[in-house]
Amino acid sequence: MKFIIQRDRLVQSVQDVMKAVTSRTTIPILTGIKIAATSEGVTLTGSDSDISIESFIPKEDAGHEIVEIKQSGAIVLQAKFFSEIVKKLPTDSVEIEVLGSLQTVIRSGKSEFNLNGLDAEEYPHLPQIEENNKFHIATDLLKAMIRQTHFAVSTSETRPILTGVNWKIENDELICIATDSHRLALRKAKIETDNHENYNVVIPGKSLNELNKIIDDTNEPIDIVITENQILFKAKHLLFFSRLLEGNYPDTSRLIPNESKTAVTVNTKEFLHAIDRASLLAREGRNNVVKFSIIEGGSIEISSNTPEVGKVVEEIQSQSIEGEDLKISFSAKYMMDALKALEGTDINVSFTGAMRPFVIRPLHDETILQLILPVRTY
Amino acid sequence: MEKTWDQLEELQPTVLKMLKNSLLKNRVAHAYLFEGMRGTGKKEVGLLLTKALFCESLIEGYKPCETCNNCRRIQSGNHPDVHIVEPDGLSIKVDQIRSLQTEFSKKGVESLKKVYLISHADKMSVSASNSLLKFLEEPNPGTVAFLLTEQLQQLLPTILSRCQILTFKPLAPKVMMKQLVENGVAPVKAPLLAQLTNNLDEALKLNVDEWFAQAQKIVVKLYEVLKKNPLEAMVMLQSDWFSHFKEKEQIHRGLDLLLLIFKDLLYIQLDKQEQMVFIEEDERLRQFALQTSGRRISDQMSAILEAKRKLQANMNPQLMMEQLVLKLQEGSSFV
Amino acid sequence: MKEMYPKNGRVILHVDMNSFFASVEMAYDPTLKGKPLAIAGNVEERRGIIVTCSYEARKFGVKTTMPLWEAKKLCPQLVVRKPNFDRYRAASLGMFEILRQYTHLVEPVSIDEGYMDISESFEFGSPIEIAESIQKRVLEQLDLPCSIGIAPNKFLAKMASDMKKPMGITILRKRDITKILWPMNTNEMHGVGKKTAEKLTTIGIHTIGDLAMGNEIQLKSLLGINGIRIRERANGIDQRPVDPESVAEFKSIGNSTTLPRDVSNQQELFHVLESLAETVSVRLKRKNVLASTLGITIRYKDRKTITRSKKLPNPINHKDDLSSFAKQLLLKSWNGDPVRLLGITGNDLVEQDHAYKQLDLFSYEKDAKKEPLLNTLASLREKYGKSIIEKAASHNVDSSQNVGTGTSFNKDFLRSFPDKKHEVD
Repeated sequence: MKFIIQRDRLVQSVQDVMKAVTSRTTIPILTGIKIAATSEGVTLTGSDSDISIESFIPKEDAGHEIVEIKQSGAIVLQAKFFSEIVKKLPTDSVEIEVLGSLQTVIRSGKSEFNLNGLDAEEYPHLPQIEENNKFHIATDLLKAMIRQTHFAVSTSETRPILTGVNWKIENDELICIATDSHRLALRKAKIETDNHENYNVVIPGKSLNELNKIIDDTNEPIDIVITENQILFKAKHLLFFSRLLEGNYPDTSRLIPNESKTAVTVNTKEFLHAIDRASLLAREGRNNVVKFSIIEGGSIEISSNTPEVGKVVEEIQSQSIEGEDLKISFSAKYMMDALKALEGTDINVSFTGAMRPFVIRPLHDETILQLILPVRTY
Repeated sequence: MEKTWDQLEELQPTVLKMLKNSLLKNRVAHAYLFEGMRGTGKKEVGLLLTKALFCESLIEGYKPCETCNNCRRIQSGNHPDVHIVEPDGLSIKVDQIRSLQTEFSKKGVESLKKVYLISHADKMSVSASNSLLKFLEEPNPGTVAFLLTEQLQQLLPTILSRCQILTFKPLAPKVMMKQLVENGVAPVKAPLLAQLTNNLDEALKLNVDEWFAQAQKIVVKLYEVLKKNPLEAMVMLQSDWFSHFKEKEQIHRGLDLLLLIFKDLLYIQLDKQEQMVFIEEDERLRQFALQTSGRRISDQMSAILEAKRKLQANMNPQLMMEQLVLKLQEGSSFV
Repeated sequence: MKEMYPKNGRVILHVDMNSFFASVEMAYDPTLKGKPLAIAGNVEERRGIIVTCSYEARKFGVKTTMPLWEAKKLCPQLVVRKPNFDRYRAASLGMFEILRQYTHLVEPVSIDEGYMDISESFEFGSPIEIAESIQKRVLEQLDLPCSIGIAPNKFLAKMASDMKKPMGITILRKRDITKILWPMNTNEMHGVGKKTAEKLTTIGIHTIGDLAMGNEIQLKSLLGINGIRIRERANGIDQRPVDPESVAEFKSIGNSTTLPRDVSNQQELFHVLESLAETVSVRLKRKNVLASTLGITIRYKDRKTITRSKKLPNPINHKDDLSSFAKQLLLKSWNGDPVRLLGITGNDLVEQDHAYKQLDLFSYEKDAKKEPLLNTLASLREKYGKSIIEKAASHNVDSSQNVGTGTSFNKDFLRSFPDKKHEVD
């Protein structure tokens, strides 16, 4: 393998793939970055086995030559050293050449590094994109869907399947669901698929968080391919792979109530700020619980009482209240998380009793819902 | 060290036959427990079966090719879906099992197949064992576990009941000698050690044991003295033997060594020198062998075995030894 | 000095720290003294609310729970600080430390107020001398102002401490009630909230005096048992003792037992845990508290003792919950050696009124089924008072005798080794 490449492009790609590399791995080859040169360009890969990132540097971009391939081939170089070296090279172009027996030379200007590489054959095999098996979605929509659901995944390993977000594709619609069993977030969107197939997979919450960080907020489409063990996202020159979680996601559709005994419409911001204030003292206590009561005259009272610190009571006006009176207590944190994830100026909250899950939706928007389980007193 | 299917089959024919059948019938268990002494090939067999599960071009449908990408990566420790856990210091910590658990809550990196191998599974702490139990109870399809142990009785019964247990036979002396030499034992000493025990650990310990080195010298000396006169042998028992071989275990070991000397003499007479164990005493034993008869050697060997029986039946060791010395000398006056 | 004390009655003090959070901040940063200061959440954001403020700020009309922007409008030079709860806790501990030097009968009510029963404290001087000495020491040692009420019972002491702030000392005798208390509006009365006061006006009761002479039957039908209670208070009657053992005081409830012989059979150990769980459960319920953390103690044959604890997802006090978590802990921590002693402790206790269980999406139906029953209980309690209905297990006839003895695990621990006290720990 031998090629000459623009240093800036190489540095950028190395930085991208480094996001997947960890030093805490039991698999020796994963401490390295895989570099593969073909007649098309250069591909870099980094992986911690949970997520893998591939960055492609084309031979030419907008008529400018970026890479000059002299001989194709592949090598794995220690990520720790390679990433530091490329950052500090003296000139704008870099030559990378593999001599016999994995010996690799990096030249830039008058400096020359000799690195011992690892056999690229040893590197994990990542799934390939099959052209007829993908679907796509606008990148900014994907990012919104991740943001609106992934916060609700469980952080406890007692039920590992709940640490992931359930992605279902049915009838050209993508449904994302996350729950830690105390609250649930759901978001739907129409997508374009090539094969109209149905899928039901669970993606680790951590992977989606990483993906969200690495992809740009544009309205360009991103391609998605689901295989039996991995999911992969393809943006321009960037591939992001994540392993899927093992096991079946619980069926949550029957757990979301569809009738309502008490329905309240309030301004999202006002409601969020009232909860925030009420929880100011509750946060110091053990529970961070606030109480929501419907009082006479179409008002809602939000209160909290922390024995050693004090009480807060606040009234907010609702736009409409229908159905039975209600007193219900819930975690202020879950409510604030849910409200922050919703778009829209007004929300509708429907309750079916003080000890049953309640549902929060933006007014006139059926594509998103947040569900919260209340707390009960003893 | 890499061993092929054929090499391991020689070592553990029963185990390999079992595994071959499981592979051919596609009935590989979710969890195996390999039980047997050190050096009996447990880890090699575990890795071999792992390769067989991942191999891209199996030979005869069950033997891993050892050359494909998967086989090579399993050997080098770079296969992302093969996880090997070894004790961290003296024990396997609960954190090690927990990270395994997180690993197995996900689907494989390259396919749905995953293997984990826990070496010295008996060294798991109580909580590590309980964590492991949880995922032995609910195995994922496509996941195979290998637990290896030298001490089966140390494992929780609940773990044992969830594994298919395969017992690895102790090593045959010939294999044992080879392993001893591989472990740094001088080739001239290996045959004797291999005769005395089929436990590699015990043999390696004996090899560096001061008492055992001394014991060999005393036994050879006793044999020499026996040929001189009865009185001197009795004196030697008092001066050297009794003070060195005190415990019953030690006396048995002494008698075993003595027996092996006579066995060597017999081999020399039968022209099977290659089976000798006291290789370092080769010269002298050849001399001795010229001065006795096969018939007499076999009488003497029965006398030693008889003495061992008496010792086992709690006969006074001093009386037993004195009787034995007299017996071994019977007929020597005719020579 | 004894002559300054009543022959039959009690002398109760109510010590109330003046704008506590703000005062603590000023003690930390003396440059704040004399300035209008407010403590508020979200200092950076306009929508933060005032948690408390100094007297200087109050002069401008700044009030607790007022939004920050409104306060700034009233008092543009207002200094705003974020709350530092760790400082407040430390100051609170220091304050109660001082109070306890006069009597062990100190009952903390919240972070900044408490009752003291000084009926037997005549060696320290007359009640007013004690109050002055407390006020002086709290100011000198902690740089914090407080107001103190002196009265024959808790209610009157509380009312008295409210009368002069900051740095006041007020004596409220029973004979002063008609003159001082009765002209006040009912909503100024401790224990009467805005809503209750509104309800009272519907039957023509506006002042505390009206309430004192109100019709018992009418009050009971309007407010339930609470109506009777506040009428008594309005007449200056309050029998509640000062209880130093109130919930905040004890941190754990536990029991342990030495086994008749060393046991290494898991099933037998489980049985022991079950019976311990039952005892601990009864004691938790008697105190109306729940445990948020569960601990177990294992002592082995060789006297090696280990304790392990687990933070619980929800607070518990039921014997089945206690024993099931205790068993999990045992399985995790027991090394299989013969056991000589086992113990269970409930830690991080929370009052039943402030204990919550976060419901679970996959199991809430179990709790929801009990909802109608709990609603009935709640409305009965509202009508007839808190103690009218308790679950059978928490019913306790002689609570005053059992409560307070051996509440901590250590005490139980000692009791199980009466002759080997030195080996504990």
